[in-house]
Amino acid sequence: MQTKKLTRRDFLKISGAVAAASALAACAPEQQSTSVAPVQINPQESVVTPQAQISTNPVSLPILTLSRLTFGIRPGDLDLFNALGATDDERLVNFVTQQLNPDSIDDSEFESRYNAAGFETLHKTHEQLYYDHIANNQYDSNDDAYWQWYSKPAYELVDATILRATYSKKQIVEILADFWHNHFNVYFWQDDGIPLLVSYNRDVLRKHALGNFRQMLEAVATHPSMLYYLNQNNSNDAGPNENFARELFELHTLGAENYLGVQDPNNVPKDANGIAIGYVDNDVYESARALTGWRVDDDIYEYENEIGKTGNFIYYKPWHDRFNKLVLGKYIPSDQEDMKDGRDVLDLLAYHEGTARHIARKLCKRFIGDLPPDSVVQAAANTFIEFRSAPDQLKRVVETILLSAEFKQSWGTKFKRPFEAVISMMRALNSEFTRIPDGSMWMLGLMGQALFERRSPDGYPDVKEAWANSMSMLYRWNFAVSLAENWFEDEGRKITTDIYNQTPAEIRSATGLADFWINRILNQTLSDENRNAIIQVMAQEYGWDETLPEDHVQYVLPAMVEVILMSPEFQLK
Amino acid sequence: MQKNILPRRQFLQGCSAAIAEMVGARLTNLAFAKQDNPYDTLVVVFLRGGWDALNVVTPISGDDRGIYEKARPDIKINNLLPLNDQFGLHPALSPLYDLYQQGKAGVVHAVGLDVDTRSHFDAQEYIELGTPGNKSVASGWITRHLQATGVSSILPTISTSGLPTSLLNFVPTVSLSSPEEFSLWDNGLGESHMTALRQLYKGDSIVHRAGARTLDALDIVSPLSGNGYQPSNGATYNDDEFGLQLKTVAQMIKLDAGLRVATVDFGGWDTHEYQNDGNGGYMGDLLNSLASGLANFYLDLDSGYTEKLSVVVVSEFGRRLVQNDSYGTDHGHGNVMFTLGGNVNGGQVYGNWPGLGNEQLYDHADLAVTTDYRQILSELLSKRLGNNDVESVFPGFSGSYNPLGMFR
Repeated sequence: MQTKKLTRRDFLKISGAVAAASALAACAPEQQSTSVAPVQINPQESVVTPQAQISTNPVSLPILTLSRLTFGIRPGDLDLFNALGATDDERLVNFVTQQLNPDSIDDSEFESRYNAAGFETLHKTHEQLYYDHIANNQYDSNDDAYWQWYSKPAYELVDATILRATYSKKQIVEILADFWHNHFNVYFWQDDGIPLLVSYNRDVLRKHALGNFRQMLEAVATHPSMLYYLNQNNSNDAGPNENFARELFELHTLGAENYLGVQDPNNVPKDANGIAIGYVDNDVYESARALTGWRVDDDIYEYENEIGKTGNFIYYKPWHDRFNKLVLGKYIPSDQEDMKDGRDVLDLLAYHEGTARHIARKLCKRFIGDLPPDSVVQAAANTFIEFRSAPDQLKRVVETILLSAEFKQSWGTKFKRPFEAVISMMRALNSEFTRIPDGSMWMLGLMGQALFERRSPDGYPDVKEAWANSMSMLYRWNFAVSLAENWFEDEGRKITTDIYNQTPAEIRSATGLADFWINRILNQTLSDENRNAIIQVMAQEYGWDETLPEDHVQYVLPAMVEVILMSPEFQLK
Repeated sequence: MQKNILPRRQFLQGCSAAIAEMVGARLTNLAFAKQDNPYDTLVVVFLRGGWDALNVVTPISGDDRGIYEKARPDIKINNLLPLNDQFGLHPALSPLYDLYQQGKAGVVHAVGLDVDTRSHFDAQEYIELGTPGNKSVASGWITRHLQATGVSSILPTISTSGLPTSLLNFVPTVSLSSPEEFSLWDNGLGESHMTALRQLYKGDSIVHRAGARTLDALDIVSPLSGNGYQPSNGATYNDDEFGLQLKTVAQMIKLDAGLRVATVDFGGWDTHEYQNDGNGGYMGDLLNSLASGLANFYLDLDSGYTEKLSVVVVSEFGRRLVQNDSYGTDHGHGNVMFTLGGNVNGGQVYGNWPGLGNEQLYDHADLAVTTDYRQILSELLSKRLGNNDVESVFPGFSGSYNPLGMFR
């Protein structure tokens, strides 16, 4: 390719290759774009990622920023953004700064909603959750009430997460909470410790989302939710269980792209500090040994008289493999102090350059596009390494990404995942709810993204190929219909969406109503053909410019609005 | 642990009733020409998580039985159903055993990937892309097969659980879990919605194509909704996810709309702890669900469809010979595959058994791989799916192609 002007044929070629690479990247997030992209785009000519071509209709920087850095634009968001400075660039910097310092944001509107929601368990400490809902469940285990009480904290966490995503002004925090839950995925319906999801989400993921990766990693590795989910809780010196150790390498830190397979660790090249450049199976086994004895202080039978059954993490020395290990080429001597073996492993992983690139690329995929340019990935990885010991390391990494040139030129590269699509619909229509009705969450499951219900440890994929299937599309559309028609109501819970009263009374032609709602929801213009299709939905048997009868407006307006929500333009950001 | 799904069901019933009232007569009489399928319908069942092959098809005699029992004192399987004098089938698979005895089901042992990986994600990708060791390819193996043979039917492929990598970049794939769940809701203006969506989803991007395909699928599937499907021959599908997926596939096959490939996922096989209790327990339940689903599926389709049916059951890897300390097994290597269909030379165990001795094991730990999984799929392609160009589907493999004789 000599020029950046692409023919249609080139475009198809690129999108095919990009699609493939991106889909692969869903499982192995660090596929190098350079190894698969058949077309070179001179970086001096353009930093636009190839898949940006998917959108024919670029939008302004404020719309891009708000679409990408929130769960969807709410009425009024644009005005607030525009008040943040004199130029778009200045506003972007100020918006990002504000969002990355969430304590500075007045979130009182959300807080009063949260307080009105009547959550009973979310304020509890980790120990209280364990005591009240696991160790001392007040109900008979043969009764439904027992299971309802047991699962109540996790269900409340789902409700609160939906509420925050929809109404909290601290939107980047919400995006990152979702990102990190998927990165350090645990499964809602895992065998043990379901109520503890609340403390995992609050005290581990949210606490460190803008903090330090090394600290977050240890918080994850010592939280019962993870210890139970990946069988670390039963790993001991007599038989180390390698499940957690393997995912620690493959998903949480170095990533599959740094896995060198089954081979002799002595053959793996080392970096200047003598650390292996990638990992082999032996590193997984040795790390599993290093982590033996990291478990939950629960009521497991072997030593029930010895410990407190608090539900906290415990280092249980009798289960620890005290002998020497070799991890990533580093010798870990025998009989180190308590937890030192495992901490050495976490240090090696958290400070490894491979980990920096893996995390940087995943964050870039979230914020810039399915196949982000290597330039911004490397910049973010450099920040990750430079500030590896800083308490705000991850905030700086995110800031590097959001203030990059690549971010500004990336419209249309992300296909909203179901969770984002659903929340953005409710935000666009100013829908009202306090506790989300169960039916809407059931539909999110049919779209393939029930909250916290990814069974495998890789978390939900973050590339469009994973979501561009018919069942997922169909229920995205059905959600739009159900929302606009006010069908979500069960067990006293309800979502209310008043489209009619959000429409200016003076606009009564099909054309006028279509243009008002297209602009309101999409914040962009459509092609004539697409605009006409929407006007026709509004007009039905009437003329496009005649004044419509009021009963027609009341009946058809939600139908037209739902079609706008169903459009491909609404699914992209 | 039961999920509290009652409110969701109630919601569904409420909506269905509301929709039935509102939806009117849309799409109830869609007619399309019946299509003869010149090829078998291929059904690929992928067991996600790496199933414990050594507890599925287990040595029953000789040194290997002794090694097996010693390696798995707490999780060994007894009372196996004899497949031949060397191997027995897990007793929870007895519905499948009947098909094996009738010659409809075949077994391959020590089969799998010829590359070194114990990662779920790598191994699944390699198998589904059909390019072990190389993830930089733009299409799945089934995608390349369909591209090579051409596709003309209305409903060429369905996937009952999302979009698998084996169908990567094959946009005509329709993903649906059941006909009942597959309808577009509306408030009486459904025709107008469909017209508008047809316009809005004209375009080349992956999102546009997915939307257009969804609209096509609605035209085909909507008429099937709510008709109360009656399986043939008294087949009774379990009310579990796997049974319901297979029931949907059977319905789609019986549409005679030229279904070429269906993919079905069945998860939960990553048994790192407490995998069984005697012959039962967690893995016994999974196996029972698997066998019951497949047996009822076969019975249902034994109404004129099994002569054009080929089912393969595959998982990403087997598990370690030696049990771990949590009464489970960790990731291993060599594996077991099943095939099922009217033209399977069943009733036999295929493959070269490498043995369980320490020097015979892969990496001194796992069952070795002596048969590349592509042997089975290549034979299937050339004998049952009308595609002799193995190289186009499995690049670099055709030189090694040496059919086992599993298919007629």
